Amino acid sequence: MGTATKTTLATGESVVGAVTSRTVLGVTAATVVLAVACLMQWVAPGGAVVGIPVATLLGGGLAVAGCGIAVLGAGSRLGYIETTPSRATSLAAGCVVGMLWAVSGGVATTVAVGGGDAWLPVAVVGGVAGALATVLPREDAGATLPAAAVIVGWGGAIAASGGGGGWTWAPAWSSAVFPGTEIVPVVAVGGALLAAWSGASAHAGFGAEGRQAGAYALVGAVVVGTLSVLVLLVGFVVLKGITPVLTGASLTGGTLGLPFVDAAVPWPTLPFVTNQTGGLYVTIPGVFPALVGTLWLVFGAVVAAVPLGIGAAVFLTEYAERGRFTQLVEVATNGLWSTPSIVFGLFGLAFLVPRLSGGNSILVGQLVLGCMLLPLVLLTCREALLAVPDAHRDASAALGVTKWQTIRSVVVPAAMPGTITGVILGVGRIAGETAPLLLVFGGAPYPSNTPDVLGSFSLMAQPPFVTNDALLAPASALPYQLYTTITAGVFPKDEFTTAAFGWGTALVLLAVVIGLYAVGIASRRYFRRKLHHE
Amino acid sequence: MSDTPQSEPRRSDDRSGADDATAAAAAGSTDAAAAAVSSKTGGIAGPPGGPGGVDGDEPAVARTVGESDEQLQDAWTDYEFDGDAKVSVSDLDTYYGEERALESVSLDIPAESVTALIGPSGCGKSTFLRCLNRMNDRIRGARVEGRVALDDRDVYGDGVNLVELRRQVGMVFQEPNPFPKSIRDNISYGPRKHGDLETGLLARLLGRDDRDAERDLVERALRRAALWDEVSDRLGDNALGLSGGQQQRLCIARCLAVDPDVILMDEPASALDPVATAKIEDLIEELAEEYTVVVVTHNMQQAARISDQTAVFLTGGRLAEYDATDAIFQNPQSQRVEDYVAGKFG
Ligand SMILES: Nc1ncnc2c1ncn2[C@@H]1O[C@H](COP(=O)(O)OP(=O)(O)O)[C@@H](O)[C@H]1O
Ligand SMILES: [Mg+2]
Repeated sequence: MGTATKTTLATGESVVGAVTSRTVLGVTAATVVLAVACLMQWVAPGGAVVGIPVATLLGGGLAVAGCGIAVLGAGSRLGYIETTPSRATSLAAGCVVGMLWAVSGGVATTVAVGGGDAWLPVAVVGGVAGALATVLPREDAGATLPAAAVIVGWGGAIAASGGGGGWTWAPAWSSAVFPGTEIVPVVAVGGALLAAWSGASAHAGFGAEGRQAGAYALVGAVVVGTLSVLVLLVGFVVLKGITPVLTGASLTGGTLGLPFVDAAVPWPTLPFVTNQTGGLYVTIPGVFPALVGTLWLVFGAVVAAVPLGIGAAVFLTEYAERGRFTQLVEVATNGLWSTPSIVFGLFGLAFLVPRLSGGNSILVGQLVLGCMLLPLVLLTCREALLAVPDAHRDASAALGVTKWQTIRSVVVPAAMPGTITGVILGVGRIAGETAPLLLVFGGAPYPSNTPDVLGSFSLMAQPPFVTNDALLAPASALPYQLYTTITAGVFPKDEFTTAAFGWGTALVLLAVVIGLYAVGIASRRYFRRKLHHE
Repeated sequence: MSDTPQSEPRRSDDRSGADDATAAAAAGSTDAAAAAVSSKTGGIAGPPGGPGGVDGDEPAVARTVGESDEQLQDAWTDYEFDGDAKVSVSDLDTYYGEERALESVSLDIPAESVTALIGPSGCGKSTFLRCLNRMNDRIRGARVEGRVALDDRDVYGDGVNLVELRRQVGMVFQEPNPFPKSIRDNISYGPRKHGDLETGLLARLLGRDDRDAERDLVERALRRAALWDEVSDRLGDNALGLSGGQQQRLCIARCLAVDPDVILMDEPASALDPVATAKIEDLIEELAEEYTVVVVTHNMQQAARISDQTAVFLTGGRLAEYDATDAIFQNPQSQRVEDYVAGKFG
């Protein structure tokens, strides 16, 4: 750029500007990736990548990005690069950059002087200067040069730090000690965000377009951040849990006896999922009883809550006059939804247990979870019913169809997708619920048999005519199993440690919840398909 | 007919409150009903073609007399026709809460013909229509006084079966409102819910499956509504995938499927484009061979084209004039009706 003249720029200016801004954005992205890798401890901040020290790479990346931004800003301000800047940068950007200047100045002073109060005036002056430098000049200079100074400064500090090994930061206001190896990548990510904002704004040529591009860069970073939290969480559980879950697993190790013919075919085995947890003959303990328990719990809760919730919503929306009563019910429902789950558990323990089973039981667990699910089903179903256009009701009434038939065949089907959304959300919550299960549901910590709900129905001569011993007995569920395993401290079998079994259980729980989501979303799609032209 | 310009209804939303403003321009005579299209805001501007100065002395008269009650005469609503009245309305008053929407409306509707209801918006046309099949019962605070008779049976009498009434008096709405179901299910919805058709698993198990009857019924209704050729190969598709005009004809077919005697239509074409409007108009004329059609419209050419007799409502819920359509449009007896069909207000 320095050697470029105006005449050549007249034809090549956009190319130079575009190349520079692309380079800035690319280097920034690479820096973020490397910094995240450091944070994840995939690479050591003190180590090296392709022969170059990581600290040099991080710092160098920031420095290059900062210089590129400065070049873009100066080039635009001096007229070498054609852009459409506004008269000034926004006040918000000025505040942020000013704050960064203040922090940088304060920290630099502390490091240089070593304690004392000298940092305060430096920080104040630096902050004001940074803010003014951002806000006062035309946008192409204000949005780039002060930010570039921060970025280059941080880059240089990181490169000089050698990766931050060996020093720590123990702030006075916290008992935590932050190792330099963590601070360095965090600072690098921060600098990269600033570079992304400034670089994107410059890339779009400042002005309204530039502000939009800068905002997109930040919003995009937030989205990526959110997604990576999710990926991180799931990935972590999978990494930790996959080894125990796959213990003893094989694709063809098992056999499946074919019905009617006396033969068997090879069949995949997954002992962690299909084995009992405790018992004498179990070599590889599994979570089968807990898995079955969870499925029964969710099934029972849905069966108890969904018809009730839909019925109540239909009554409130279609029959009850809007007024005090419906308002009261609405408030009560909202309150119920935000009631802590342990309170539901306590209610089950004090009220349902003595009346239904006399001890912990699947049935009471189902009912308690059903109570927790009920308000959400009611609320979402009510919203969905209110969203059904009155035109449908009018059309049906004009055909001479009764109100109840209209509700059954037109209104409720139209509200189905919305209701199912509520059920999906609610099931996600109750499937992982632990607290109430501790009080009303859980049995032996390492169950050696699976609740046989289907096979335990039996008839009798006096009311209630049907009983089910399995439903009235305690059992295990995945979150409950996880809790008991972790709190027990010692795992009774040699095969797993407590932690390994816990991670395996967590992975299975995660899979079950995701599976339930999938079922819910599939059924919602089915109803949507039926309702809408697609 | 398809190139008819859609006469944009001259809506003035606060019409009911600002009567005198509408009357301000009600002056001068324009003989051609066709001029009705032109004036955009009838309340202020005269007909664009007409010389503005002519109105000079008359508005003062029209303002007071034009909208006053004395000017309406009962004789203007006496319409003589051969045969019995299918629907007979006498002294009908309708209130929404305290507000009166219809005031002593009396008219007899002949069978197997098209009766058009026209009038400025807010004058109670829809309200009147809803009185005929008691859809007003569904509106909170609505109260109906007077007598409505269908084939000499009092619609508002004791022990009237609403289901039966609405089977006999079908309704088509302004916005096409098919159910979010397949085309076939839309048509067979009414008969199924009335128990005339039994389909489904239970019916099949009991050997009473009416699927053939359903197929016939769907085809008959769709043919009658001039929609069969367009949808016969996709009866299972969702009705919401049809165009607006097709949806409206589907709604008419749905109404025909329960085999009504009277079909009420509330501005059935006002949400449609000119081509679809023309199709609906043709259909209405055809339906009148078999059914008694009462159609509310904002479009005066439409009323003139398709109807046999026309009832003109005026603001305040009064029936101003009711006569053969030709008489209304060519030689109205009321000055206010003449002004209205000339497009001077409304
Ligand atoms: N559901 C209702 N509740 C209260 N007032 C209504 C309702 N429907 C109509 N009205 C009033 O009744 C009058 C006539 O309305 P409407 O029959 O819809 O007129 P039109 O169909 O001729 O435009 C208007 O003043 C309107 O405000
Ligand atoms: Mg209307």
